[in-house]
Amino acid sequence: MSENMKGFKFVDEVYKDPIRKVKELRGKTGRKIIGYICAYPPLEILTAADTIPFRVFGDVNEPITEGNRILPPVICSYVRSIVDLGMKGRFDFLDGLIWSHSCDCMHKGGFVYTSCVSKPVHYILEIPTTTSEEAINFFKYELMEFKGWLEKLLGREFSMDCLKEAIEKHNRQRELVKRLYDLKREDPPLITGTDTLKIISVIEALPVEEGNRILEEVLEEAEEYGSRPKKRGARLMIWGSIIDSPALLQIIEENGAYVVVDDTCVCSRQFWLHSNNPHVKTTGDLMENLAKRYLIEVKCPRLYIGSYGTLKKDYKRDLEERFGYLKDYISKWKVDGVILHSLRCCDVHGYEVPQVKDYLDMLGIPSIYIEPEYDAKTLPPLKTRIQAFLETLSQL
Amino acid sequence: MYFAGVDIGSTFTKIVIIDSKGDIISKVIVPTRAEQRKLANKIMIEALNQANLSLNEINYIIATGYGRFNVPFADRQISELTCHAKGVSALFPSVRTAIDIGGQDLKGLKIKDGKLVNFIMNDKCAAGTGRFLEVMADLLNLSLKDLGEISLKSKRKVEISSKCTIFARHEVMEKISENVPIEDVIAGLHYAIADRIVRLVSQISIEPDIVVTGGVAKNIGVVKAIEDLLGYKVLVPEDPLITGALGAAIIGKNIVEGALSRGEEIRVGCRRLEEVELYW
Amino acid sequence: MSGERKRVIRRLESIKPLRAIIDKSYNESIEAMRRGKPVAWCMLNWWIGDVILKAIDVVPIYPENYGAVCAAFGVAEKYLSLSDSDGIPSHLCGYSRNCFGYVIRMMRELKGEIPPEAPMGGMAKPVLLLASSTICDPRYKWFQLLGRYMDTPIWILDTPMPSTIDHVMDENYVNCLVRFVVKNLREFISFLEGLLGKKMDWNRLDELVNATLELHRICFEVNELRKAVPCPMHSRDYWSVMPSVLFLLGDPKESIKLYQNLYKEVKYRVDNGICSVPEEKYRLMFSELPPWHSLALFEDLAERGWNFVIESWGYHPPKPAENLEKIEDPLERIVRYFYHFFTHYVRESVKMGVNCISISAPFIVWAKEYKVDGAMLHSLLTCRSATSHLYEMGEMLMRVWRVPSLAVEGDIVDYRVFSVDDVLRRAEAFEETMQYYRKERKKMGLDW
Repeated sequence: MSENMKGFKFVDEVYKDPIRKVKELRGKTGRKIIGYICAYPPLEILTAADTIPFRVFGDVNEPITEGNRILPPVICSYVRSIVDLGMKGRFDFLDGLIWSHSCDCMHKGGFVYTSCVSKPVHYILEIPTTTSEEAINFFKYELMEFKGWLEKLLGREFSMDCLKEAIEKHNRQRELVKRLYDLKREDPPLITGTDTLKIISVIEALPVEEGNRILEEVLEEAEEYGSRPKKRGARLMIWGSIIDSPALLQIIEENGAYVVVDDTCVCSRQFWLHSNNPHVKTTGDLMENLAKRYLIEVKCPRLYIGSYGTLKKDYKRDLEERFGYLKDYISKWKVDGVILHSLRCCDVHGYEVPQVKDYLDMLGIPSIYIEPEYDAKTLPPLKTRIQAFLETLSQL
Repeated sequence: MYFAGVDIGSTFTKIVIIDSKGDIISKVIVPTRAEQRKLANKIMIEALNQANLSLNEINYIIATGYGRFNVPFADRQISELTCHAKGVSALFPSVRTAIDIGGQDLKGLKIKDGKLVNFIMNDKCAAGTGRFLEVMADLLNLSLKDLGEISLKSKRKVEISSKCTIFARHEVMEKISENVPIEDVIAGLHYAIADRIVRLVSQISIEPDIVVTGGVAKNIGVVKAIEDLLGYKVLVPEDPLITGALGAAIIGKNIVEGALSRGEEIRVGCRRLEEVELYW
Repeated sequence: MSGERKRVIRRLESIKPLRAIIDKSYNESIEAMRRGKPVAWCMLNWWIGDVILKAIDVVPIYPENYGAVCAAFGVAEKYLSLSDSDGIPSHLCGYSRNCFGYVIRMMRELKGEIPPEAPMGGMAKPVLLLASSTICDPRYKWFQLLGRYMDTPIWILDTPMPSTIDHVMDENYVNCLVRFVVKNLREFISFLEGLLGKKMDWNRLDELVNATLELHRICFEVNELRKAVPCPMHSRDYWSVMPSVLFLLGDPKESIKLYQNLYKEVKYRVDNGICSVPEEKYRLMFSELPPWHSLALFEDLAERGWNFVIESWGYHPPKPAENLEKIEDPLERIVRYFYHFFTHYVRESVKMGVNCISISAPFIVWAKEYKVDGAMLHSLLTCRSATSHLYEMGEMLMRVWRVPSLAVEGDIVDYRVFSVDDVLRRAEAFEETMQYYRKERKKMGLDW
């Protein structure tokens, strides 16, 4: 059915049920499906091992029942949702699942998963907090361990040549995603934030070659797709944590605004949008190259960036060092205002919000902070805030 | 020309009709009880009667408040934050910070040159809203109207926690059982609600002139407590409930006048004056 | 409210002098602050940072503890309010929010002077912020956010953890972690030398590491004695003296002598069957952070025969590690010990046939070793790390050992959340539950 479709139509079709599509692919090719929950595990390793990396999302529409039995409310609702779905068998179709120590909730969630859910087999990727040379060395060691675990799971090893090929494909994907985002530099943007999330959700569910093909088709169709009559509207950036369902973006874009760029984990951070050169080197020590790039390029607040170990601290200079890439986003995508988003009980984003706000204030860019739960029912009260924020950006 | 603003809040529904000069020619305030949700049209008819106008004579109608998306005769929906800011600026052009203390929510508005530039809202918990006082009035078997005056009689107010209505309620019960004078307890409650309010609104940085609106603005005890905590005098409009509806009407006026000056068409809604269930 | 003056638990005599050195060292640090000695604000770092700071003569102050102090003295509310008003989200760690409020008051309102209302001498403006990534994220994000208010240099002790059972058991993996952290500590020392303009006394550091290990060894032996039935030492006593073990307060050599006395007294009780409560009907364990504000609750429970025999894994030293004395480098020694602390109960639980990698592991082991009838699990509203494992732990204790749990709710800075009356109301029903599960355990062939 979806074989004859391409580009945007294909995305719409697969988006309805990505799990079905990826199971189909497994059936045809025999490639195993390995789920991952955050942007740190290098997908190149999964691709080199001839598996299908599948980004696992929670479900904002599924009431959390089992998850609440085993995790207290102090753990963020996103992790509780994932554990809940795992306990309900939603991830049984996966051949493996990768948690990461990206934050406390993810770490503890992974531990609890260990004791409560037997399927699928899983791994917890450890990630250092700092980015020194030693940290990169440690992360490389960890990636070697991860490679070993994967090879044991699959019963076969993979070569550095396979890894090189995989790196090239993922480099290409990062480039194509950059070009996808470029479509939103137009005014009005050729695709909306909701479109972007759908497209990215689909490519994160499929093998990298499929994903690249879809992106190329979408880029080709973009002019025609985007030329449908659209009103100009406020151009917004969303900075924040997990937004894996279009519900929030729809509330924003229903009000006539566009989310033209984002700094969020499911979308831009996974593809290193901020980087001028998102290509991992394919010469030298490939695992070291991956360790170095993944540790530094994923712009997650859980990573400590900024002057530690310097004797003269300067807050403004620190902010520039940490968030300077947001200034680029704002100027390239002509952003009018920023929505700062953090799930309730998210420490890494919660502590970061006041500092990002300080930086945006320094730049004179208006912003608003919203703190929803990972639950579709908690979004309606945000309508008023978002509408009011858009009204402050307008002439009313 | 005439313009109408309809503000459907959780506690009260307010309609204001203004003329081209911006003067209020009619206003209606009724409690938004369950049955009133269906009857926004009836309230509108009442406002029209008061002004001696028909619906077609109104050039623009803006709906605001919680129920704004279910007003079939409105031409546009604007958030209550923007409308309040506009209404307060019309009454007090020097305003920089407005605090709207409603029955179930609390809003802080930063205003610059008559326009909303920043805001903060609490609609998640009762502390800092009219509900807090309602719960306490209920507990103490007093009328909500009298609380403010009683609080002013206190010579030594009691410390009551401001963070949570439930904790505060327990504390009040304890103090009463210890025979603490009632006016001291009530004064403590007023400071608790004022503290909560100031704590929230401080996040957008409070600058004078400060205007307080909403049902709770009628409570002189809360107003005095806020002044005490801030160290500034605050301004309260004569009718603190209608600033949202007034602002909505003024925005309607600005939209129409702007369109006319640019030679643009003014699109109005379908203007159905019928019974409709308001959900939120 | 239960009477604070009630004294049912038989407190150990040798606790008093240990408590005295803890109090003395607090006073000394306040004095040192007043005299302008360099002060560092630290996170609890499980000894790897503390030995270094002590060796180079910097006064460590723990804002985490200070949060509990402010809450106990009733000023936390004021600081939390300042933090909220400055736009800091309110679901973050209560200790950190208390600290932000304190710093806003100190830096913005008082130009760097200690607030007059600050209890116990307050916290002086530091020359260094020593953050840590161990156990929880706020412990480095918090100090990073302090940069908004103070331009104090910061260092992070970055300590990744083995996160799968295989890695816990893998010597090579642990070696890799040790190498990473030792390097970090070496750089930290160079940084400190630059900051303070003085050199590290490596002999002193070596001595401190050895003293720490010896102190911990004795403390561990004392806790082993608590396995006796009836138990000779109540959790209240351990909580009183844990600062000397956890924070290395005072002179470790003095602490060692006093701990030896403590050991003698506890041994005496064991040899003579003396119990820490009048009648030990039930043996309980407690996780994780104690309700500092309501310790009198335990007197009421002691009257009912509840003896708390083991508690708060985070405050305990591990079983002594083997072969550490062969390591010459004091940094490597203390780092190996650090990772030993974080992994050895996981290994013990695996030996018992239970694959538990979270903080529940020690309690799974202790339930059996301390012959525990029930667990009291203290959920905290604003502390993720000390709360996240509790539900899982309750389920595991029931599944593996048929040991029931009693869940109680509290918070680290908002003490109104905890209800003593509520716990006492539920005590009788829980006693019946504990009795029932004793029978169930017998059926399973377990011996307690």
